[in-house]
Amino acid sequence: MRYRPLSLAIFAAIALAAAPLSGQQAEHRAQEPGAQLAHKALGPADIIMPHITDSKKLELPCWKGWEEWGCEVTLPTWNVNLGGRVVDFGPTKHVVWLLIAAICTGLVVGFAARSHRRSSAAIGRPKGFAAGLEGVILYLRNEVFMPALGGHGGEKYIPFVLSLFFFILFCNLFGLMPYGSTPTGNINVTMTLAVVTFVVVEIAGMRALGRGYINTIVYWPHDMPLYLRLPLSVILTPVELLGKFTKPFALTVRLFANMIAGHVIILALIGLIFMFGWLVSPLAIAMALFIMILEIVVAFIQAFVFSLLAAVFVGQIRAAHH
Amino acid sequence: MRTLSLSLAILLTNASALLAQEAAAEPKSGLMDIRLNLMFWTLIIFGILYWGLRSWAFPAILGEVDKREKALQDAIDAAKRDRDEAQRLLEDHQRQIEAARGEAQKLIADGRAVAEKMRTDLLEQTHHEQQTMLERARREIEAEKDRAVAQLRREAVNLAIAGASKVIEQNLDNTKNRQLVEGFLASLPAIQTSGR
Repeated sequence: MRYRPLSLAIFAAIALAAAPLSGQQAEHRAQEPGAQLAHKALGPADIIMPHITDSKKLELPCWKGWEEWGCEVTLPTWNVNLGGRVVDFGPTKHVVWLLIAAICTGLVVGFAARSHRRSSAAIGRPKGFAAGLEGVILYLRNEVFMPALGGHGGEKYIPFVLSLFFFILFCNLFGLMPYGSTPTGNINVTMTLAVVTFVVVEIAGMRALGRGYINTIVYWPHDMPLYLRLPLSVILTPVELLGKFTKPFALTVRLFANMIAGHVIILALIGLIFMFGWLVSPLAIAMALFIMILEIVVAFIQAFVFSLLAAVFVGQIRAAHH
Repeated sequence: MRTLSLSLAILLTNASALLAQEAAAEPKSGLMDIRLNLMFWTLIIFGILYWGLRSWAFPAILGEVDKREKALQDAIDAAKRDRDEAQRLLEDHQRQIEAARGEAQKLIADGRAVAEKMRTDLLEQTHHEQQTMLERARREIEAEKDRAVAQLRREAVNLAIAGASKVIEQNLDNTKNRQLVEGFLASLPAIQTSGR
């Protein structure tokens, strides 16, 4: 807090110093057509798209001089013939980051669990990071997921939604790391997670409702006369079905679009430097930094929202009594 | 903010798709491509992670938490039980103290009553004894007096008889007899007064 006026002053000074210089720079660039070509070669779309989409090339940090700080590794291709169609099941950039995110989730939660168990056995309570993680898990379980899931067997779905939360959180956060990429910014990943959630929701419905599960598909109100029941069923069954499939679709698009949006903005703001020259960099970096901080919040919020909605859907179908 | 960023993203991705078409030298990956391999790997990776977390990490943490909560609950229950027990004991003791105090009061009152009774009894007895003693003394005095009177009377009779016998013995003359009796009678009042 104490440094805020200072940093603001520095920022203003840089911005003011850059203003007259940028004019000179433009003038200078106009004299060199080659410079514009070089900038064109690094257009924002060419930077943004490869960053946010999947590819067979993995970026790794390495030093190739001042111009380039990264090198690429081409990932192997494992072609599998699926009924006449050849599909590459080899790892891609997002698969690698998914794996890294999963390993990190496993390690962080696993080590925290081990530390938790040890220190619980030793002093009766966790300490350090394990205590913090316990706080997060307990808050999510007791205040968020359990009310949504409902009692009488709702606690069986706690590990699933917690796994979703931590996995999505790590996937989201890895996109904010240099050289990192967000697997959750890929619609295939979010769709798979949403489909898994969908399957879990439906299985939860079958287990909780038994034969009554059919009522979550076919609308069949028991407290109405038959002549009303039939047309209502005909009209509302497609709506019910549609509702079933909208949920995973909404989950898919929400997470995907949120992740993509943040990254696109950050990359676009950094792309401003390539479009307008390095003199706009203080402004571009300041704005990108602001969005970056926002993105950290969004990473948590989206992980939370996805898992919360999964819990809400499970709770809804378990409580569905037509 | 969200809407803004979303619309910007869509705008940029559309623009970039157009740009990508323009420079379609290599097969570019679009945002909405469906890729089976990625789905497959997501499923596998998430499945393994879920299995791992579910079978070990979460039960470890939540189990310890439940254990701790149970221990705390037990401690709270035990404390409550102990407090109830203590309350019960305290009430018991208070009741006992009350009872003891009542008992003591009763004992004191009884003692006082007994003492009072004893005092009156003693007083009465003393009084009675005193009366008895007085009575006896009086009776004894009376008896002594009677005996003294009787003795005196016997003495007088004896004296009279002695005097008479002396008179009869001497029986010489009347004058002499008279002298004798008178002499005797003269000596008599002194005895009578002393006998009284």
